[in-house]
Amino acid sequence: MTPRFEEEISLIKKVIIDFGEGHRSNLAVISDPFYGESELVDRVEGMTGEEGIRINARTLIRDLEALEDARGRIVIIEEVHRLYRRKIGGFDTMNSFLKMLVCSDRLFITTWNSYSWKYLDEVLDLGRYFSRQIKLPKMGADQIRDMLLSGYEEGELTFVEEEPPKAEELKVLSRGSYKKTLMGHCVQIPRPVVDTRSVRSRLTKTEKKPPEDVFFDRLTRISDGNPGVAEYLWKEALDYPQVRNALKDPPSIGLDYDDSFALSIVLSMGSVEVEELSDVLEPLDLSAERVVGLLEEMELVFLEGDVVAIRSEALKSVVEHLRRLRLVW
Amino acid sequence: MAENLTEAYSNLSPSTPSGGASGVSANVSSSISSDIPSLGIDSSIVMNALLVLALAYAATRIVVVLLTWLSEKVYEHRITVKMAIPLAKFAIYGFAMYHVLGSVLQLSTAQLVAFSGLAGAAIGFGLKDLVAELVGGIVIVLDKPYQVGDKVRIDGHYGEVRDIGLRATRLVSPDDSLITVSNQKVLSQILANANAGSREMMVVIDLFIDSASDAARAMEILREATVTSRYVYISEKRPVTVLLKDRPFYRRVRAKAYVYDLRDEFQFESDVTKRAWEAFEAEGIEPPKAGVVDIGAGSAAGGIV
Repeated sequence: MTPRFEEEISLIKKVIIDFGEGHRSNLAVISDPFYGESELVDRVEGMTGEEGIRINARTLIRDLEALEDARGRIVIIEEVHRLYRRKIGGFDTMNSFLKMLVCSDRLFITTWNSYSWKYLDEVLDLGRYFSRQIKLPKMGADQIRDMLLSGYEEGELTFVEEEPPKAEELKVLSRGSYKKTLMGHCVQIPRPVVDTRSVRSRLTKTEKKPPEDVFFDRLTRISDGNPGVAEYLWKEALDYPQVRNALKDPPSIGLDYDDSFALSIVLSMGSVEVEELSDVLEPLDLSAERVVGLLEEMELVFLEGDVVAIRSEALKSVVEHLRRLRLVW
Repeated sequence: MAENLTEAYSNLSPSTPSGGASGVSANVSSSISSDIPSLGIDSSIVMNALLVLALAYAATRIVVVLLTWLSEKVYEHRITVKMAIPLAKFAIYGFAMYHVLGSVLQLSTAQLVAFSGLAGAAIGFGLKDLVAELVGGIVIVLDKPYQVGDKVRIDGHYGEVRDIGLRATRLVSPDDSLITVSNQKVLSQILANANAGSREMMVVIDLFIDSASDAARAMEILREATVTSRYVYISEKRPVTVLLKDRPFYRRVRAKAYVYDLRDEFQFESDVTKRAWEAFEAEGIEPPKAGVVDIGAGSAAGGIV
């Protein structure tokens, strides 16, 4: 597989060398959910050797003192955004952690959810505590192609385009419906749906690209350059030795403001326990169970045990919807 | 004297074919009508003019409905789209008037001068206020002291601007009353615009606590209640500020923060107030003793504090 994160690794290496020479710059690695930053952390852990210690912030939520007692001059903490909750009194652990970080002479290498980072940067001015920040960038179609095809020989896979429908079957308008609860009954109200893909294909008569290029362009667009999402969609499309271009566009979201807020909490954490979500939503008179049920029904999240997580294939539309309402930015 | 009049009458009578007084009046009216140019307006022209105005009215209604619908669809550009509504209305009515005067009535220069004279007299005598309101409407559209969708205070009335009409501006107050303020009055009044065309809007939330309560903790709680609200919008240019003011018998803790959508103003205020008070109660922070806020406010207004 083509090595990833080369640029980021060289930056982190420099931070560690500087620390060895007496210059400490705490580091924040900021990425979107599913980006796959744990691969980067694995390599950093290998670089720190005996001096380093790796902790997941989940373990610090109830016992931050454990961090002080932990050995190691270089502390790698994953998912630091888990140390806050969006409620009154929800910043206490995070504030204690930041206080400890300022007073300590150890080097902290931390990973953050990008949406939590942006929020906390405005609320707690996080940038002051981390003089070095690495924002993991979106990947282009070529990078995603290199990443996904690195394990295969050239020509090993066959990219199959889905049979395009016959011209007369290309409908610009199709019938859709949306659900509405009226007097306790779920009613499906029909509405016309414009097939933008069909319209686009009729309007643009460009030279035909090879199926492989078409597939990776589409994969990059649907995954929004997120390698974790791209990998998930790749697995869905791969039917060895064939790769089927049956990628679905992300669904459009019609949620009210309160449910969207709950969704923004899940997105900001990547995944969250129902109890934690309830802790945030209860003071707002919102039921976490009801919201989770609704989001699951809309195929935006999935429930594994009592942990709610965003569906990777829905990530793009979730982010677009929440950005539109400026619940994340 | 009487003889002279009789003579004059007898001199006139042979020239009048019908004879008598009725002949005189017909003669006078025909000589007047020959002096004034005919306006050439018949019933079909009047009907055409009315039809054009009716079409203009229908067109403005359709445009208003369409733009309002579109503004709600493109949620993040709502106010920008709504800004086009008064402009479209003025443009449609302006075009309709131009069409009526130019094409339907087909007035010549002399007729236009005559019409202007009549219009001037009408404005001077009876339609002065109406014209001032129309001019006020044009000035509001061009100068933009506020736009449709803004939250404004005019003449002591606070609300969201729903419509800038030809004659008046309509606001909807927080208790859902429709307030109509004449455009002429708007221009002569002091006007406060809370968001000036932006969707974001600052909301000020005041909580009053007893002087003996922990004010520092109250400020911390209010800040947390504000930054955790689902309606808050925080950015470098839109920070959250918490302030404390000491009064003789109580303290005022004030939060200043922005909502992303000005329609969330009151939900935001209510959400922050509710959660902050729940936390105040849990931490033993008490409200002022009954009546002291009124005393404090009264003395502040009187310039004592």
